[in-house]
Amino acid sequence: MPRELALAGILFPTLLLVFVAAAALTWLLDTLSARLGLQRFLWHPPLVRLALFVCLFGAGGLLIYGR
Amino acid sequence: MNAVKALRILMTLALATAAVLVGVALWGHYMLSPWTRDGRVRADVVNLAPDVAGLVAEIAVHDNQYVRQGELLYRIDPERYRLALAEAEARLQAADVERRLRAREAARRAHLDSQVISSENRDASSSQAAAADARYAEALAARDLARLNLARTDVRAPADGYVTNFNAEVGDYAPAGKALLALIDAHSFRIVGYFEETKLPKLREGDPVRIELMDGGTLRGRVESVPRGINDHNDAVGRSMLADVNPTFNWVRLAQRVPVRVRIDAVPDGVRLVAGQTCTVIVEPAPRAG
Repeated sequence: MPRELALAGILFPTLLLVFVAAAALTWLLDTLSARLGLQRFLWHPPLVRLALFVCLFGAGGLLIYGR
Repeated sequence: MNAVKALRILMTLALATAAVLVGVALWGHYMLSPWTRDGRVRADVVNLAPDVAGLVAEIAVHDNQYVRQGELLYRIDPERYRLALAEAEARLQAADVERRLRAREAARRAHLDSQVISSENRDASSSQAAAADARYAEALAARDLARLNLARTDVRAPADGYVTNFNAEVGDYAPAGKALLALIDAHSFRIVGYFEETKLPKLREGDPVRIELMDGGTLRGRVESVPRGINDHNDAVGRSMLADVNPTFNWVRLAQRVPVRVRIDAVPDGVRLVAGQTCTVIVEPAPRAG
């Protein structure tokens, strides 16, 4: 995956896209787990939310930069 | 109940630990590994000016054409230089005639008795013969120069490369020394990566490099060399010969960028390099002991 994406002649880091995608995915998973009542099994939901986001963002980033 | 509580804490902590590990790994790859977005494709450019002045008589190439070394690019009107050569040849002939005449004279007088010719006269004629020899040599050099000038009316490619920015027309007057076109040496393409000084210790000559062009192409290369100097902006001299030093914040300073030269291994088919293109340069350092 390239490190930069070109949009209308402007080059921006792919990491920005990864950030947005990770945030969206975190929100989705969070909502889903709340609907299904899975949050009973979590000790500290905000911490889990943050950790989940960092994990998703980091994994996406490592796909690009970890080669 | 206790088991569920332990599971809750364990799950949360596990996820938090994973996040820390992933975050650290990403930080290492993004912030610490030697790579830069600020890379450029470079090539040697020859500014091709005619060696002799004159009207442009013929143009053998067109803009952006690939030419081989020695190929004719354009021709300056040779008529004037042909005439100059004819003149120089005539002068050479005259000098040759005079040289032979003086030599015969001197040889004859050298054998004459001192009763017939004064030693001053004899001296003079041998000097005249030597001077005529010198004039002949001068005329010979002038002829060779005229020949060279005539040959230089053909402007040829000094290397394999691409004709660039050629905007002369037949009939234009081309003064000697003023470049009419740029020739990009086809074998001189290289990458220059502007690396922050903080990343320099992590790269070394010979390290493999991946180059991602802005247009999507990917190249492989190797670190060729690291320069030993860049300009120091605080080195300027202001008015009254005093040092001109820029004030800076004590906390926030910018890392200088050092142009690292990267040799391209091979240009894959379908990748067209244009000098000046932007690229991302990623050094993949070989594992080193210590």
